[in-house]
Amino acid sequence: MSAPTVPNLLRDHLADLAQNDSRLDGREQFGARELKLETGILPRAEGSARVTMGNTIVLAGVKFQLMTPYPDRPNQGGLMCSCEVRPIAGRHWEAGPPSPEAIELGRVVDRGIRESGCIDVDDLCIIPGEKAWQVILDLHAISDDGNLFDAFALAGIAALRSATVPAERFEVGQDSPLKVSKKPIMCSYHKVGGRFVYDASYKEELGGDERIHITLGDDNHVHSLQKGLKGIFTAEEFEEIMEHAKSRCAELRKIVD
Amino acid sequence: MGGYGDVQMIDENGLRMDGRKPGDLRPISIETGVIPVADGSCRMVWGTNEAIVAVYGPMEAHPRKIQRQDRAVIDVAYNMAPFSTTDRIRPGFNRRSREISKVTKDALESVVLLELYPRSKIRVSIEIVSAEAGTRCVGLTAASVALADAGIPMTDMVISVASGKVNDVVVCDLNKEEDNYGEADLPMGILPNTGELVFLQMDGDLSPDEFKQAWDYNVDAAMEVHKLMIDALKGGDN
Repeated sequence: MSAPTVPNLLRDHLADLAQNDSRLDGREQFGARELKLETGILPRAEGSARVTMGNTIVLAGVKFQLMTPYPDRPNQGGLMCSCEVRPIAGRHWEAGPPSPEAIELGRVVDRGIRESGCIDVDDLCIIPGEKAWQVILDLHAISDDGNLFDAFALAGIAALRSATVPAERFEVGQDSPLKVSKKPIMCSYHKVGGRFVYDASYKEELGGDERIHITLGDDNHVHSLQKGLKGIFTAEEFEEIMEHAKSRCAELRKIVD
Repeated sequence: MGGYGDVQMIDENGLRMDGRKPGDLRPISIETGVIPVADGSCRMVWGTNEAIVAVYGPMEAHPRKIQRQDRAVIDVAYNMAPFSTTDRIRPGFNRRSREISKVTKDALESVVLLELYPRSKIRVSIEIVSAEAGTRCVGLTAASVALADAGIPMTDMVISVASGKVNDVVVCDLNKEEDNYGEADLPMGILPNTGELVFLQMDGDLSPDEFKQAWDYNVDAAMEVHKLMIDALKGGDN
């Protein structure tokens, strides 16, 4: 991504709006855009989901491969999460090897899903030391109007929950649903005009400062945190967004069901 | 082309494995304005192929060395999503997608009125999110709809269809099995208003008569698809 020019006009405007407790599209500080989640939409993937949040659209697809377990973990399969933001998603995304931004995106989403333990890697083993499943979650942005993190995380867990292990095609048994025991959910907050807002749009990201991503599992256990971009925040600010994340994650968890 | 002659793909009634007659197309649906942040966009579902195309621009062409003083350049990126096929595709550089990007760009530059936008760039991003067979045709056809949706002036639309041969029968719009085990594949990019061509590839084995039949199937199919494109653009959200 080439570094976009941020006009001071945009930053000033966002600061003014924040003063009046408003946002570019009239949302409240912690208001969310309209959200739509669809699963089973990609015929070639073993599990899939499309998430639409306002003008942000992402796809997630799950594929399976057979792997030889690692020598130090002969009873375990693997989970891989890869993220691509190709030029289709917006004029600020360019072709070429993944940018640091895209890599950060994929890794933060990956950590939330992996650390929640929602996929039991022992269960992915077929023959210890010889054969195991590798689950690959590919995240693909279609339209970037901000907050790709939350869209990817939601599409990712929904796609995994809709996935079928293609055992018959690989001749290693019967097809069965992939077991996903937990529902890790990510909530992202951007500092815009001096305060944190939830579910930022692209313009708010552009004219904002630091961002914080929180992934909470069932029972509000924290599974991943990430602070990105330049900026300083206080413990009080963090406490405030953490409180909101708890209630929002509970809402989103119902949508995933 | 595999040329596995022992795979039976045409039944005793002359119908294909998916029930089509030799000259039939797969079902096609077209939607425009599907990417809110793009200047023009199109989703085309063709059989179980699905292509999503975004057009951005005309915009400043950079780096400067790609600029043309007298015209615009079109930057085409064709890509198959990792989950678009039965076996996962590893993301990243690959020669096939580079070639398809290039021939698609060559086709589109033949119809877009480039001289109207000197020193600028029009970006066309083609993502195949589900692949069956003929993704290059779907990508190119969807790209021309997305360019029209973006309001970019063109002399004509481009419709791309592939015909080929299976079990010695010439058939229109090959599906996955026919593409894998058939004996020939002839994709063409046709301008519906003049019948001219801007894209042509072929591999396999066709007699002069079979070649003529495949060519005619493609031209007839293009006219059928053209009607759907016009409907989508007239009735679209934008």
